[in-house]
Amino acid sequence: MSRKYRQWVKEYQDQAWTVARYILKDAQEAEDATQEAFVKLWKNQDSIDPDRIKPWLMKVTRNGCLDRLRRRRDNVEFDESYMAGEVSGPMQGAATNETAAWLKRAISGLKEPYRSLVVLRDVNQHSYEEVAGMLELNLAQVKTYLHRARKQLREQLAEVRP
Amino acid sequence: MNEYDDKWEDRINALLDGELSADDAELLKAQASDDRELARAIIESYQLHQAMDQINVERAPDSLTKRLNAIPREHRSKPAFSLFQPRWAMAIAAIPLMVITISLMRPDTPSASEIAQARQEMAIAFAYLDKAAVITGREIESTVGHTMANAVTGSVNKVIQSENLTSKEKEA
Repeated sequence: MSRKYRQWVKEYQDQAWTVARYILKDAQEAEDATQEAFVKLWKNQDSIDPDRIKPWLMKVTRNGCLDRLRRRRDNVEFDESYMAGEVSGPMQGAATNETAAWLKRAISGLKEPYRSLVVLRDVNQHSYEEVAGMLELNLAQVKTYLHRARKQLREQLAEVRP
Repeated sequence: MNEYDDKWEDRINALLDGELSADDAELLKAQASDDRELARAIIESYQLHQAMDQINVERAPDSLTKRLNAIPREHRSKPAFSLFQPRWAMAIAAIPLMVITISLMRPDTPSASEIAQARQEMAIAFAYLDKAAVITGREIESTVGHTMANAVTGSVNKVIQSENLTSKEKEA
């Protein structure tokens, strides 16, 4: 059983960490949230469908992160100051990693569930069906919300372009 | 966002996801040639798509990997019962010792079958003593006379009768 668990850690830790990192914007808290999710996985492994370990883990990680946000009374809404203070525009820098860094911050600034949708679908590359299961939405809702999220990002990207 | 936007957003996203049919792609292209807003939306969507490709899943820090790998050790589920746990092994080893101790301390009370057998043996013994008293009486009588014989057998018979009475009382 422990060997199976270690395999899950190897396969899913990066994806769970990425979800936590984007939602919480704090490395230490993201580590704590990811650990909590894996503790739940360890304790409930016998009751989880083996074929649904990944979506189960992503859902639990996300829910844990949102609980943490509520507890610390953080503003889940779009944080204008967070963006304005740090973003000068990806296209002003020549390096493509600046674009990536800008985009990461922009994704972190999205409202829920847009942020989770973009992270799960566009960053972690889960299928639409998997994302629907993780967020307990239907497929049409996932597509509609994701399109809105992408549109917001697209518009922000256009604004910061020279 | 109005219905018009939603419709085109769906198509733009389907195009980027590679899910738009050839006919719908042609329709979108035709529409974009007449609609500058739509054309701009398509171009910006491509740019976002390219930017997204630069973002990868982040590698979990080593400190997190260590914490995750330590979970089975730190949260080992406790089995409800195991014969191999030291306390249970000690308890099991103590059971024969307790049985022996209790059996040694137990008062010696005979079973029902033992009592029945003892009564049967006593009845046989008393019958034997009756016969022996008669025979003894005859031998004494022939040797020393009737008076002496009666004295001896009478005392024997009294003992036997008293024993018999005690036995019957106990049975009652």
